[in-house]
Amino acid sequence: MAINRQIIIEQMSKIHVRGNHEGIIPAFNVFIQQLPTDFWNGFARRIINNVSEDLIEVAEALLVNAAHECGYHTGYGIINSPEWKTIITPMIEQVPRDTLYGAFALVTAWGWANTEIVELVPQEKMVIHAYNYYESDVIRYGKAQGPCAYMIQGICAAFMDLVYGSQPYPNGMGTFVCQQTKGIEIGDEYGEFVVTRALKI
Amino acid sequence: MAVSFEVNYRFDPQTCRHYLNDFSTVLHCHHFITLYTQLADDATHFEGERMLKEAAEDTFYEVLQDYYQKHQLTQLSDQISIAEQYWQMVGMGKLQFMEIGKYTVCAEMLHSHVDQGWLIKWGLATKPINFITEGFIAAVAALVNARPPKSYGVKALKALAQGENKSLFRATLK
Repeated sequence: MAINRQIIIEQMSKIHVRGNHEGIIPAFNVFIQQLPTDFWNGFARRIINNVSEDLIEVAEALLVNAAHECGYHTGYGIINSPEWKTIITPMIEQVPRDTLYGAFALVTAWGWANTEIVELVPQEKMVIHAYNYYESDVIRYGKAQGPCAYMIQGICAAFMDLVYGSQPYPNGMGTFVCQQTKGIEIGDEYGEFVVTRALKI
Repeated sequence: MAVSFEVNYRFDPQTCRHYLNDFSTVLHCHHFITLYTQLADDATHFEGERMLKEAAEDTFYEVLQDYYQKHQLTQLSDQISIAEQYWQMVGMGKLQFMEIGKYTVCAEMLHSHVDQGWLIKWGLATKPINFITEGFIAAVAALVNARPPKSYGVKALKALAQGENKSLFRATLK
């Protein structure tokens, strides 16, 4: 049985979490929280809108890095979780390739972004399309001046790191980088994210 | 008897978005929130801390105001209880308001997602870092006193992230 994206989305989107008696949600080997998407967008836009022109790229890189680290650690927790083993592991035929397909179905189920892999060159390159994502909500009319799906950029690179990283978890982060080449927020029909190997310095 | 926070979850299969009481929401982890917090703290030259607080205050003011209106909550005790239950339910920790007045609002936390996440990721903090809860408390202080956002300044006086046994916040009318 190959990865069935629709079944994963249906099953995993039903998992609802809520804080315990301490108001904490320990899950997938991390603590998680469920906040409005507008909060995350609100902070990211405030940062970008308030830095000087010469610091915008730096600020964007920091926002991407936050998602990269989050995606790497949470992603590891996810693919080693009981939920993953119950629902997704039985669908995995080609390791580690199918792990990535399963992970992006899960990204969709969790509301991070409606994403799917459209191209995968093992250990080298991955192209993701995102058909709906909360980071594009920053635009209500017209187009943004540039793509701003920092969270998706970070998690795309993180998942490649997890599966094809130069070293196993937790030392493989930074093997890959992601560039956003299309975006709903800049008028495209979907977001496009191209993950490639990071240049060795 | 205190009012219970009503939860209406919805997953939209078309957009693949989650909604909690009609607000688009997303699951993130302590790595993400502590990195955003650190980014805000580092960004002193463009007031990152203030931006994180204001992003929180604006968002949660709208969320709670919407809830209070839809459920016709006018009693102060109900409004406070719902705010505490909301923060607990979304995984941000156990927040308890200790003092509510027109000029001063005080709250404490015995458990905190941001502080506990910070301790795991970075170790002891040298100062309070829970700017998001500060924004949340500012929102609650304004709402329960029938004032607009940005009416209250919030300062953390003690923090779990600094190794204290609880976090303590004080909001004061500007």
